[in-house]
Amino acid sequence: MKTVFVVYADDNVGTAVLEPISAGDSVASNGERSDIQLTARADIAYGHKIALLDIAAGATVLKYGLSIGSATRDIRAGDHVHTHNVESNRGRGDLAES
Amino acid sequence: MQQFMGYRRANGDVGVRNHLLILSGTVYANGVVERVADAIHGAVPVTHANGRCQVAPDLRVTRRFLAGTAMNPNVGAVVIIDHFKEEGMTAEDLADDIAPTGKPVATVNIRADGGYINALAKATRYAQDFARQISRLQREPASMSKILFGTECGTSDTTSGLASNPANGLAGELLIAQGGRMLMAECTEWMGCENWLTDKAANPSVAAAIIAGVQHMEARALASGEDIRGSQPTGDNMAGGLTTIEEKSMGAVKKIGDSPIIEHLDIAAAPTQTAPGNYVMYGPGMGAESISSMAAAGCQVLTFCTGGGHTSNHPIMPTIKVTGNRNSYELMRDTVDVDVSGVFTGDLTLAEAGQIVYDEMARVCSGYLTKSEALRDNNSFAIHRVGPSI
Repeated sequence: MKTVFVVYADDNVGTAVLEPISAGDSVASNGERSDIQLTARADIAYGHKIALLDIAAGATVLKYGLSIGSATRDIRAGDHVHTHNVESNRGRGDLAES
Repeated sequence: MQQFMGYRRANGDVGVRNHLLILSGTVYANGVVERVADAIHGAVPVTHANGRCQVAPDLRVTRRFLAGTAMNPNVGAVVIIDHFKEEGMTAEDLADDIAPTGKPVATVNIRADGGYINALAKATRYAQDFARQISRLQREPASMSKILFGTECGTSDTTSGLASNPANGLAGELLIAQGGRMLMAECTEWMGCENWLTDKAANPSVAAAIIAGVQHMEARALASGEDIRGSQPTGDNMAGGLTTIEEKSMGAVKKIGDSPIIEHLDIAAAPTQTAPGNYVMYGPGMGAESISSMAAAGCQVLTFCTGGGHTSNHPIMPTIKVTGNRNSYELMRDTVDVDVSGVFTGDLTLAEAGQIVYDEMARVCSGYLTKSEALRDNNSFAIHRVGPSI
């Protein structure tokens, strides 16, 4: 069993800060949300994030109980959460209203 | 209300230390300053590279750093040693700034007082008198509401945003509940979470000042030809697991808690408000300049949250290092005071870690030496420059 750390109870991602995780590993959460049990669907390097729950495309990714961006595609519990499936909502000149 | 044992000053401030400060007015007085401090019991030298050939706005910032350091409640008395008379920042100008605090101040001018050796003798006699004078002051109970608690983060890593910074924010909440104030600088690191900060602003002018401060720092960075924003988070941040600028900045600003932001301060400027809560200050991410700006604003104690471990220590403001990285604590335990890595192993809740940080801060306020104080490693006095030497 591998462990990921969850910093706030509202978060839908956890961080691999104790050990790296390999696809197929059983994963439990600790920290402020210790009820999660899942199977990793991808390798999660030290310091990287794993989805604790399913996150629909367009939904908010929460860490620190706050938005760190939006999902760009459907994310399933156990997926690696990073730049390939999350985008920032800040400093987005390309999204500015004309 | 919780109390600590501190040194009550004439103006009502309460220090957590009772330092005799030997302060250099200019780079060319540094040698005399070092020798005086070396000769006198308990004297702390503060030297620097400034005080000559600075443009006026830059010299005004230097003056705020120097006068503010001397005005800090942790300083019981001050001997200022100067060389020439720099227009707008003579030793007498600094003494005028310090005078309202009521603490003993003496000035020595190397040229006017008859050269190096005579100035050294004169300053040493002042320092001897002051050392004995302030030694009569005893610690007495004071409310924690008197504490202005500075906070900094440096050499951050994955653990910083997850453990040491949020634990520190909770420690700040505990102090604010006692009527105290917490100060955070490093506005470079607010980029990407300005909204989180402005949502806490006590009024619209504070919110506007937060936005303006970040924009000003960003403009200075861009003027240097360096685009620090277009490339955030950096490649090594992303390799380390940080996905967006929001995520990176949140980890940094979580070192303050969720209390209202009462005031936005210019660099090295003291708060004008006394209301409990968070205070924020314009300034760079450079650690020594940042913590020196907070000491100049009057912070009596500071927590320095670090991922990789750190040696930073300000000469007159105890600098408590806190880490959430167990390896860094083991490697750097000579200078890192608090290990909160237990939040990752389930040995500590974040709330417990916050209490540990608060308790350490409160003990230091009553006189407990930090590890770096015990080593007398006063490495982190630095003055932020806003103009070129000319």
